[in-house]
Amino acid sequence: MKRFMKKNYYLEKLYNSKKPFIAYKVNGGYDLFTDFSDKKYVNKKNILNFFNKFNKKNKKKKILDLYIGFFGYEILCNLNNIKIPKQKNINFPKSIFYKPETKIEIRKNIIIRSTHKNYNNLFGKSSFNTNKILTPFKINIDLNKYKKIFNKFSKKIKEGKTYQIKICTKYKNKSLIDPVTLFWKLMKTNAAPESFMIRDRNFSIVSCSPETLIEKKGQKIITKPIAGTLRKTQKTNIRKALFYFKNNIKETKEHNMIVDMERSDLSKVCIPGTVRLSQKKYVEEYKHLYHYVTKIEGKIKKNTKVRDIIIAMMPGGSVIGCPKISTLNLLNLQEKESRNIFTGSFGFIKFNGDMRFNIIIRAILNYKNISEIAVASGVVIDSNAKNEFNENYIKAKSLIDLYQ
Amino acid sequence: MIYIIDHKDSFTHNIVHQFSLFDKEIECEDFNKVNYAKLNKADVIVFSPGPGAPKDYPVSSKIYKKYKCKKKIIGICLGFQQILFNENGKIVKQNKIYHGFQSLISVTNKKSLFSKHKTFKVGRYHSLKLQEPFYAKNFEVTMRCKISKVAMAIENKIDQIYGFQFHPESFLTENGNLLIKKILSA
Repeated sequence: MKRFMKKNYYLEKLYNSKKPFIAYKVNGGYDLFTDFSDKKYVNKKNILNFFNKFNKKNKKKKILDLYIGFFGYEILCNLNNIKIPKQKNINFPKSIFYKPETKIEIRKNIIIRSTHKNYNNLFGKSSFNTNKILTPFKINIDLNKYKKIFNKFSKKIKEGKTYQIKICTKYKNKSLIDPVTLFWKLMKTNAAPESFMIRDRNFSIVSCSPETLIEKKGQKIITKPIAGTLRKTQKTNIRKALFYFKNNIKETKEHNMIVDMERSDLSKVCIPGTVRLSQKKYVEEYKHLYHYVTKIEGKIKKNTKVRDIIIAMMPGGSVIGCPKISTLNLLNLQEKESRNIFTGSFGFIKFNGDMRFNIIIRAILNYKNISEIAVASGVVIDSNAKNEFNENYIKAKSLIDLYQ
Repeated sequence: MIYIIDHKDSFTHNIVHQFSLFDKEIECEDFNKVNYAKLNKADVIVFSPGPGAPKDYPVSSKIYKKYKCKKKIIGICLGFQQILFNENGKIVKQNKIYHGFQSLISVTNKKSLFSKHKTFKVGRYHSLKLQEPFYAKNFEVTMRCKISKVAMAIENKIDQIYGFQFHPESFLTENGNLLIKKILSA
């Protein structure tokens, strides 16, 4: 980790400036993107137009020919023709995508690529940011309320209206934060494969998402749903974790359901017969927990558009429940507060149609000096309200601890 | 051509891919957006799985009644219940709920297209089940859960109507493709 923080004149200037930039975890390091020449506020009305940018046959391949940013939860519902009833809303943008002109590849060495010749002098004023908590974290749904929602959804499961549904709870505080120090602090303990950070002038996002939703290169598309979490203790190891998942009926059923659902989502855009489980039910190890993962891949049908892929795959099923559409409708009727970025997707789309997207979970959104951390855990027929409520807290804790 | 009526389920496209193995022409549309011109041309109609109960989908019931005896009809999970519901079967809640559950079933009827006593593993996603005894002309319950004995398949060879309570397209089902192949060529 030290090498990512090591003294580099350019990076130090960047971190200490107010310049917007994005960091995204990659294999063996991080990619940073900055010097944005375009910032698109994507909404219901212009989203299809936005997607059309990527349908042109683009022969010239340039490293910076991409848009990077996020889709919030609401716009992904809208793409699936699902309307969300009126909710408590902080008016955070529904989706933003940036066109970078400079990319910094942090690996063993640091490589900077830019379309600007003078990229080294584009920092503006420097500023000193500190982290300051103004009020402690508060949860928006207490255990009693949670139990009520839980029982309501259990009934829906018995009626067959949903097979699995995720209840979202939110922790919020008032705070001033420096997302850069927060992000690198988080990466020291939990450099999850889909981690990212966005620092913009009026908001920031810091996330250690573990889940890859779309990885598309050429015709090949991969998704890696996670269903199943086990807390690490001194007695556990990766082999024991696998044994636990395989022999736990509840975890197995949840996982199976997500795998079949993601196979179906991929099948919408893939050539029949090409969708397969390339790595079935394995365990990924993290600093504090284990995840139960399956890797699914397929070959994209010819003439499939970026738009078709996004609509087929998002919002990512593993964080919503199953079947997706009816479960989204149940969730939206229940939830009184906008999810904002939670269970949306962050990633990039290249001009040639290749893309990478995660599912936004384990994320801090700081906007108007309020930090919010949303978490969710699943209700299936044999889950227990108190356990799931506590699992939500465990998921939020590692992020809440960053503020100490 | 095979026409798949989607009850907005998250497994339907697995079915589309599975049936694509046996027919190049597949149409799949939402139950509330059915294209009747295309439906008329289809040789086979498939009722997909989906949330809720058969009574929630009057449009699908109408289609079933209209095309019964005229085209081959296949129902999966909710689609299976849809067929039974329209044959005056009662669809009820079950005590134990199976979602993402792999269980052992066996062929229990010698009138089945499949050999009696054959046992295999299948993937199940259902809250509801058929209440028995069930009787409808030409229909046979042909497969059952090994443990609970719940009806897992119905076959009506005379009118060419078939249904599975489990999911032949699930990765949890052994030889799911073979089941579909046999029914399509029956």
